Amino acid sequence: MKTEKSWTNFTNWFAIRPRTSGFLVFIILSIAVISVSFLRNHIEREDERYEMNLILSDAHQKIEQSLKNCYTTTVSLALTLNDDGIPQNFDTISKKLIKSNPLVSAVQLVPNGIIKYIYPMKGNEAAMDFNILELPNLKKEALKSIETQKIFFAGPLQLKQGGIGIVGRLPIYHKNNFWGFSAVVIKLDTLLETCGITSFNHSRYYFQISKKDPQTAKEHFFLPLKRDFSKSYFLSKSISDSDWKIYLIAKKAYTVYPQILLRGIFGLIIAMLFGILTAKLLKKPEELGFLLKEQEAKLLKNELKFKTIFDQATIGFVIIEAETGDFIEANCKYCEMLGFTLDEIKEKGVKSITHPDDVEKTLKNIKKLNEGKISEYVSEKRTLTKNGNYIWVNLTVSPILETTDKPTTLIAFIQDITKTKATEALIKKSQSRFKSLIDTIDGIVWEYDLETMTSTFVSKKIEHLLGYSVEDFLEIPNFWEDHIHPEDREYAISLSARENKNYTNHVYEYRMISKNGKVIWIRDIMNYVFEDGKPVISRGIMIDITIMKEAENDLNNSLQLVTEQNKRLLNFSYIVSHNLRSHTSNIESILYLIESAESEDERNEMMQLLKSVSNSLDETMKHLNEVVNINTNINLVTKPLILNNYVNKAKDILSEQIQLNDVNFITNIPDDAVINYNSAYLESIIYNLISNAIRYKHDERKLLMSINLYKENDKDVLEFTDNGIGIDLERNGDKIFGMYKTFSDNVDARGIGLFITKNQVDAMGGTITVDSKLNVGSTFKIYIK
Amino acid sequence: MNKKIIWIIDDDAIYQTIINKLIQKSGVFSTHSSFMNGKEAITTLNTILEIHEEFIPDIILLDINMPVMDGWEFMEEIKRIKSKINKQIIIYIVSSSIAIEDRNKSKTFTDIIGYIPKPISVEDLIAIVQSDENSAGN
Repeated sequence: MKTEKSWTNFTNWFAIRPRTSGFLVFIILSIAVISVSFLRNHIEREDERYEMNLILSDAHQKIEQSLKNCYTTTVSLALTLNDDGIPQNFDTISKKLIKSNPLVSAVQLVPNGIIKYIYPMKGNEAAMDFNILELPNLKKEALKSIETQKIFFAGPLQLKQGGIGIVGRLPIYHKNNFWGFSAVVIKLDTLLETCGITSFNHSRYYFQISKKDPQTAKEHFFLPLKRDFSKSYFLSKSISDSDWKIYLIAKKAYTVYPQILLRGIFGLIIAMLFGILTAKLLKKPEELGFLLKEQEAKLLKNELKFKTIFDQATIGFVIIEAETGDFIEANCKYCEMLGFTLDEIKEKGVKSITHPDDVEKTLKNIKKLNEGKISEYVSEKRTLTKNGNYIWVNLTVSPILETTDKPTTLIAFIQDITKTKATEALIKKSQSRFKSLIDTIDGIVWEYDLETMTSTFVSKKIEHLLGYSVEDFLEIPNFWEDHIHPEDREYAISLSARENKNYTNHVYEYRMISKNGKVIWIRDIMNYVFEDGKPVISRGIMIDITIMKEAENDLNNSLQLVTEQNKRLLNFSYIVSHNLRSHTSNIESILYLIESAESEDERNEMMQLLKSVSNSLDETMKHLNEVVNINTNINLVTKPLILNNYVNKAKDILSEQIQLNDVNFITNIPDDAVINYNSAYLESIIYNLISNAIRYKHDERKLLMSINLYKENDKDVLEFTDNGIGIDLERNGDKIFGMYKTFSDNVDARGIGLFITKNQVDAMGGTITVDSKLNVGSTFKIYIK
Repeated sequence: MNKKIIWIIDDDAIYQTIINKLIQKSGVFSTHSSFMNGKEAITTLNTILEIHEEFIPDIILLDINMPVMDGWEFMEEIKRIKSKINKQIIIYIVSSSIAIEDRNKSKTFTDIIGYIPKPISVEDLIAIVQSDENSAGN
């Protein structure tokens, strides 16, 4: 346990120090790599040394062997001496010896240090008789061999006979006295060649051979010195019977082997990578740990936040056990709302604090939630408070999400809406008050949404004024438009459309057709309601102004009547002033002429003239009387008259003229057509119009006259059309029905017929119109009331 | 004193007879012509303008109410052909109407010299001629 803990501590120590740990790993691995490299280097070196040793030993051995052979040769040579110390068969034996030992280039016998015998002589003549004991450098060596009584190889030295050679001298004792030397001359080149040194060509090593100077004891190297190898690694061996040393030298001084260096560097890099990796790896948990801490902090903060929200929220929160309906948790607001403490609430269940009337609904909803049929529900209900009252709350209940199918807890958000409810009731009350107020307004209040272009409200008064239901007006598209009087529709719609663009409040009047077909005059007072400077709604009141309109019409009619009568009166006064005055002025003139007459004939003539004036005056008086009668006869008797009878009667009276002018009649009047009219007037009107047509017939064609009866706007119209000369209405339209207005040079024209006719038609409450074209014909229409 | 040519335009036959007598009595006119309406007069005037300039009247007595072409219409016609007439024609309205409207309307025509209500007398005729001569003399 303790170890485990300390181990954990130990690992933790590393875990929390990734950089240090990484560095340590790097150091350890580096040390290992370096050690291994050193070791490897060392082994390599050992190998090399071993190899060098082998090579050196081999070369050494070969030299020794060669020199031994030479020794044999010198010994053999020495044996040529006979007992007297004289060589026997020197040349023959020498020849054989040289043959058997190719190393030897020449053999000598040197009695007492003087070269006396040489084989072969050729090329070695210069050495003959040379006393080697005389030359100090040779002497020392020679003496050395004498001293040791062994063969001694001297040299290499410049040979008298040329070239560099080695001379092996064996002191010969003859009868225990020094006789001289038996010597072999070995060419250095040959020796080196034989020992394989010349041909030795190694990438790493080379040979060197040295000799200690006998006088100076200084080392001389005979092979060409490549460099000073004192710092290089070398092996050496002394060659026996000489002062020579053979060296094997490594070309490179104490090198670290490249491949090992390379591996070492590679190892270091790996070590470094391991270090970094370790640091990284160790850092990861640290980072994760950091992240974890951060998350933890966040979570904690969130929890705190939610806790705060839960507790300080302005709406109530409760968490409910889904199955039992018990409260698990409730926030301060909820407690405050009900007046219970949290503990008191926890003791209660949903059921116990719900108003009895709402319990069933609540339980049903919870059941649905539990069964997963709904994901949440919103409802309003009454909840019991501590003081025994019920308050209205708005609930939003939803399950707290869990992985299981069935929710185990529910969360409810509760808002006290008691005040809202009270306000709602108040609003409802005031709404109904306004509604009843609006309904009592003696006009149809309406509202129209300018965006959706639909009617949104119309007051109940519509049923009273127009007979239509509110629903019809609101639901049937274009109801308003379709129920405007056809004559006013275009005007009303276009005006309303125009104002809907300008948004100016306005008042306009039009007629509507009520459900029972009555024409109702409407005055529509229209206003726009703006929201943020933008008109959104138009609203107004439609007031029934039918009675007013009728009164106005009556007023207009009577005004028209008065104007008409006034006009007639004026006309009448004009007639009186003009027509009567024309007669009186004539009479006055005639009287003057009678007075100033110069003869009886003249006087008689004037008397005749006076008579005719009197007749004219009488006629005018009659006409005036007639007109006055028409205009003053208010209580005219009207009765149903068979129209055709009157047409026929007029034709009878005018039969002579009709026959004379060959007039054609087309009469379109049903036999049973009856009109309510004054008998005398009807007779007079028909007579006047037919006789007028005959009087003003066109000279170039037969008169064709048609008399028609038809209905126009529910009114009987009696129409007389002829193809006579016609009247220029542009010039004479205003005076066509005037008294004594004639428009042709026809002598029969009296200008009274149409005047009388018009007066009669007017007296019957109708109107007469004329449509005429010069040289085409005229049409008179009599509108019967 | 040159005698004047006078035209009477009136549809009243009796009046025509009377004025005929009065003209003779006045003795200030060389010739006089009668027309039953404006149309007859204007047609004649148009004809003599081209061939008998000497018959262009000096004085016209014009009635207002006439069939076919009344006095006002006749004045409109005169306005149109005025430029072709090389003579100052004196035109008087002579009417039985004493309506102020007619008198006022006559003033709107610059070519109408005066308005004489019927009956017209011999003195009236002489005065017309004299005033014409005075104005011509001036």
